[in-house]
Amino acid sequence: MLGQQILSGLATGSLYALTAIAVVTVFRNTRTINLAQGDFAMIGAFIAMILLKRFGLNYYATIALVVGCCMLLGVVVERVVMRPIAKADWLILMAATLGVYYILHGLAGWLWGRGTKAFPVPFDPTPVHIMGAVISKGHLANIGWALAIGCAIYYFLKHTRHGIAMRAVTDDPDTAELLGIPVKRIVMLTWAMAGLLAGFVGVLIAPIIYVSPQMMDQVLVKGYVAAVFGGLYSIPGAVIGALMIGVAENLAGGYLGSHYKTATAFAMIVALLALRPQGLIGIQKRREI
Amino acid sequence: MLKTDNTLAIAGRTAPASARESVKSLKARFARENWIMGILLFVCLAAAPILPGVKGWMATEASLVIIYIIAAQGVSILTGYTGLVSVGHGGFLAAGAYTSALFTEHYGIDMSVGLVLGAIFAGAIGQIMGLVFLRLSGAFMAIGTLGFAFFVGTIVNNVPLFEGRDGISLDHNHFFGFEIGDFGFYYVSLGVLALVTVFIYMLLNSGVGRAFKALRDSEKAAEASGVHRVRYRILAFTVSAAITGLAGVLNAHIVNYISAEVYGDIWYSVDILVAAIIGGSAMLMGPFVGGLFVVMVPFYLETLADFSFVLKGVVLILVLIFAPSGVAELIGRPLRNYRQKLLRAVQASQGPTAAESDIGGRRNV
Repeated sequence: MLGQQILSGLATGSLYALTAIAVVTVFRNTRTINLAQGDFAMIGAFIAMILLKRFGLNYYATIALVVGCCMLLGVVVERVVMRPIAKADWLILMAATLGVYYILHGLAGWLWGRGTKAFPVPFDPTPVHIMGAVISKGHLANIGWALAIGCAIYYFLKHTRHGIAMRAVTDDPDTAELLGIPVKRIVMLTWAMAGLLAGFVGVLIAPIIYVSPQMMDQVLVKGYVAAVFGGLYSIPGAVIGALMIGVAENLAGGYLGSHYKTATAFAMIVALLALRPQGLIGIQKRREI
Repeated sequence: MLKTDNTLAIAGRTAPASARESVKSLKARFARENWIMGILLFVCLAAAPILPGVKGWMATEASLVIIYIIAAQGVSILTGYTGLVSVGHGGFLAAGAYTSALFTEHYGIDMSVGLVLGAIFAGAIGQIMGLVFLRLSGAFMAIGTLGFAFFVGTIVNNVPLFEGRDGISLDHNHFFGFEIGDFGFYYVSLGVLALVTVFIYMLLNSGVGRAFKALRDSEKAAEASGVHRVRYRILAFTVSAAITGLAGVLNAHIVNYISAEVYGDIWYSVDILVAAIIGGSAMLMGPFVGGLFVVMVPFYLETLADFSFVLKGVVLILVLIFAPSGVAELIGRPLRNYRQKLLRAVQASQGPTAAESDIGGRRNV
């Protein structure tokens, strides 16, 4: 029972982790608390639903298309909204993403309605036995996807030109600029990456929480809680935080009752921030935002 | 020989005493004008119901605007003046609303008592949150307070005392024993708004307000100059939460019904913060403009339903791009320029003075 709770907690946690990675990447490269991150995924889920339902597209082709759309959305947001105010105070940047949040929320509600819709690909509940624990195939698939995406991002950041440039911008944008790194393009790439992650999250989470304009609100906040575990700066910290939240809230749901599932994450963040404000695995650097 | 005149010694030259006197009197005049304009504004608002064609629902709508203004004033104390960004003020709003609603339901208290109790309860919770988030700043503070708002939402949804989504229905409002209707409610909220505005004006021009601003501009420098960081941060949290709690009490009584459906969400938190930022969170008049915006845009665009969200977002982004310090700053700019010109003219005619022209500061609208 315990092992099973932990395993399905890890499955949910892996999707929080993808959100948290996007949050951290955008924050450390652009100082932006991106409140629209969840809504990128929400738009992605709606597009996926339409592609699957109305056009009967193949599942994998849908994922590819949706991820492309979300990346484009990220780039458009960067170009149109964030670039003109890139030098502003972080509060202004956060409020601007709030504006994007309103726009995407409103668009989804206007085009597709406020109601909750089922996602055409059913969540595969076929049980699989792993080391005594029983987990559904759908959860296992999500873990697999998240792992693959995580590895791809690790490879990208460590071993490719653009990934290394991105980390240089994270460390010190001014020096990066002096070294000839096109900082503006890297910032754009950062937002594209946020879109990419959002696209995957949207498609993978839709069968579990269904599709509606407000579907991602809670997920986003948990992504942020996870990001704070890593001090809003460290990707491994954020991933560990996300997995912990997934497990903790699943355990709370199992042993205390499902009402307390959501409260757990927030209790965790309040406790964490009160005790270790720099995050669990935080880096003291760059706290002067 | 030592110079004793400390303010003017910096400039290396001494201004004639008459110049300093006239600059001082001009500033006193500006402060007086601020007061007169404020009083005029409130007299106009109080007289508005006399206008022909005013109906009850208009008073209710105006009360709603006032509620948002008060809530945004609470946020502006913390976000604008102390520099601690809160995305969780909906939690304090809910605290005020539920306090008053529960006491009214179970003990049948008067609304005036409800206002006091709501402010005290919300202030107490604010004090606790101030302690919990003592070491946070910047983005971490924003996320922590967001977590607080969600936490409050979960509690009002699930703890039986708050009656969850069924909500609490209240009887007619009584204020000092009199039953009040739409217009009565409008006057009550206007009175609260006036009190809060005067309170904030006095607070900001006192040592406490200066300590807040010093903390905002640089925590380290403020602490080094003897500002007790812990004490003033907690004080800012408490005052801010209590003011937003007042708005919450009014918000519970305006429709005589509250439920977790509304307060369990973070929409209030977000809307209040938007009101503070759009208007200009570091200005006395900022929340007025912001509150008007946040209530009136959805009201006029009601027929557009969800599309009004899109417009709201677009306007928010445009404001942030073109007037990052708020719409109130934009509106008040001609007045400030005029005053600046007047001040400069006086200084020029009276000979050189030290750099005393800080009149264009953020509070003088």
